[in-house]
Amino acid sequence: MNRRVMQYTLILLTTLAEVLLQNSAISAEREPFNDRYCTTCHGTEGKGNEGIQAPRLAGMEGWYLRRQLENFRAGIRGTHPMDREGIAMQPMANLSDDSIADIVEWIGGWPYVPAEVTITGDAAAGRSLYGVCATCHGDQAQGNVAMGAPALAGQNDWYLVTQLKNFVAGYRGKHADDVYGQQMAAMVGGLGNETAILNVVSYINTLEER
Amino acid sequence: MAGFVSRREFLNLLAATGGTAAALKVGTALNLLPASATAASLDLLNLGNNQRKIAILGGGISGLTAAYELSKQGYDCTILEASHRCGGRIFTVRHGDLIDEIGNRQYCEWDDEPHMYFNAGAARIPSTHRNLLAYCKELDVDLEVFINENKTALVQDDKMLGGKPIRNIDYTTSMRGFMAELMAKGMSSAEMDAPFSESEAETLLGMIRSFGDLSEDDVFKGSFRSGYAAGGFLEHGVQNDMVAFRDLLQTRLGRQLMGANEGDTGPILMQPTGGMDKIIHGFLNHVGGKVKYRAMVTSVQVSDNGVNVSYDQDGVGHTLEADYCFNCIPTHLMVGIDHNFPDDYVKAMKYVRRGEAYKAAFQAKHRFWEDMDIYGGISWSNTRSRQLWYPVNGIHKAKGVVLGAYDYGGGMYHTMMTQEERIESHLADHEKLHPNFRDLVEKPITIAWHRMNHMLGCSARWSRNRFEGWTHEEEQLYHTLQAPVNNRHYFIGDQISMHSAWQESAILSAQWALNSMDAHVRAEIA
Repeated sequence: MNRRVMQYTLILLTTLAEVLLQNSAISAEREPFNDRYCTTCHGTEGKGNEGIQAPRLAGMEGWYLRRQLENFRAGIRGTHPMDREGIAMQPMANLSDDSIADIVEWIGGWPYVPAEVTITGDAAAGRSLYGVCATCHGDQAQGNVAMGAPALAGQNDWYLVTQLKNFVAGYRGKHADDVYGQQMAAMVGGLGNETAILNVVSYINTLEER
Repeated sequence: MAGFVSRREFLNLLAATGGTAAALKVGTALNLLPASATAASLDLLNLGNNQRKIAILGGGISGLTAAYELSKQGYDCTILEASHRCGGRIFTVRHGDLIDEIGNRQYCEWDDEPHMYFNAGAARIPSTHRNLLAYCKELDVDLEVFINENKTALVQDDKMLGGKPIRNIDYTTSMRGFMAELMAKGMSSAEMDAPFSESEAETLLGMIRSFGDLSEDDVFKGSFRSGYAAGGFLEHGVQNDMVAFRDLLQTRLGRQLMGANEGDTGPILMQPTGGMDKIIHGFLNHVGGKVKYRAMVTSVQVSDNGVNVSYDQDGVGHTLEADYCFNCIPTHLMVGIDHNFPDDYVKAMKYVRRGEAYKAAFQAKHRFWEDMDIYGGISWSNTRSRQLWYPVNGIHKAKGVVLGAYDYGGGMYHTMMTQEERIESHLADHEKLHPNFRDLVEKPITIAWHRMNHMLGCSARWSRNRFEGWTHEEEQLYHTLQAPVNNRHYFIGDQISMHSAWQESAILSAQWALNSMDAHVRAEIA
């Protein structure tokens, strides 16, 4: 009886060892990868890429980056069928917690360089509109972690325009679990037309580096 | 009778042919046959050893063409490739390969056999792509014939015959028959005599009868062309039933079926034995040592005397100073890389749109299509997966790899799905062609070019107006991007062609740039 148990145990162990060996052989010949692929779309040191409509990451606060990556991963952001750019991003956030932490740290090391101005609008008119925004995002659009509001200054203006349009149209900030997105969606009442959006973003373009 | 083409309409159509015939006569008189059947050969100046440094950005076929040709003439080339492999959209997937789709990384688990591969990008070489074929010859790349149209393959549309698949040959034989019958009826009318002489009319009518295999009374009554329902070898063949015209008209797949041997797929098609990337390996046999892998370009600065390139390799920054730079990085990615290109160049870069082509493939547990007299070719269905390709490589072997989806223009439909949704879509679609398809295949892979790392798009789309072609402004933008910056930096690749998505276009683009650079070098030396 004992001998039989021994035999079975041996067979089991041998099989286990074979499986383990096979697995290591498979992983050994496999092409390695890492999850630091952000720059493919977001450009050199995350300066943004208008060609892909992928915004500037350099200068984004770590807490904001983490929250958005987690939101994309959970489908809280980038699942509305009209949010074209968000939909493009959503599956790319299929990342482990460790990878997200690594990416946030990596991006944190990139230099802040204000994005180039690509839109035209009436910055003076935008200034008065910005008053509402300043409550959360700050006078200089420098962001406010306590309010969960990211910095806007220096961000790609075309990206800000797209996101404001999305908030106004309800393509972003409507998901039940997007707490901060909902907060933002409630604040865009004064930006009902494209001119107003271009004006307020033109004003943000005038703000200095924080 | 509503919905039928009236006799008058049909006669009008035929009368219009008279004008076309006149134009054809002019064409013949001008002798418009292609003059030469050899590839254009480059005549680059040989500078001896290492007199000029060349930076090649991207190891696609255009970059490798540049590296190969310039190395032959003594130039010192360095190729920076962002990914782990060269070839770009010339990508053959085999056992163990990484498919680096961002957010949906896959490893191929197929059997490790020479014929078990899938050409996930470029897959066909027309015999008229003579520059590509010249490199295949020069680089000792073995070629075999690729079967594109296969008359025994299937056609399926839910709207036709209750969704029952039929053979391609049943569709095309009947469709040609009915079309010929219509034409013959038009021809035999007295009203039709005007544009043609008696002899011309006789020739045309004879051709129409033969085109459709009409009976003596110019009626289509079915044809042995679609094979036999029974017999045919030791006994007389029994003719297949024809498919009713009305039934054929329930599907629009005729556009693919009747045009399979036209245009780019008109010439004989070929593929390298063992996978399309044998061409890439052919180039790498000569210039492989000059490639730096996982080297992502971070900056391209053009000066009066050359080009300074910065790149990141394994987290370490490097610089490369070159006299000339050939750049096949997709323009939509180059927009996000630091550069000092002029404004009109940047405007053109931003104008080009990303292609959306999508493919999928399965390992078949056995070559079930060969049991149905299908060897190679394509089955067409009116589904989102659209095409099912049977491999011509590995005939009669145990297993094979089938293409399970190819959507060239509307690939975002599947791209937007999860991997599981994509696979389920293809399985369900192809069950309409092969009822047990789900059980016949395994180990799926999907290739969403729009999300492949370091590419983020399939072939470039310049023209935004599908029906009217390129606008004047688009042509100007194209020529802006084709022209060098400071005679130092060249964009290359099929993106700098008016016929993207073909290897020949990428090669010709590189050769155009090489000739332009050569002229500059010669002028500099003189």
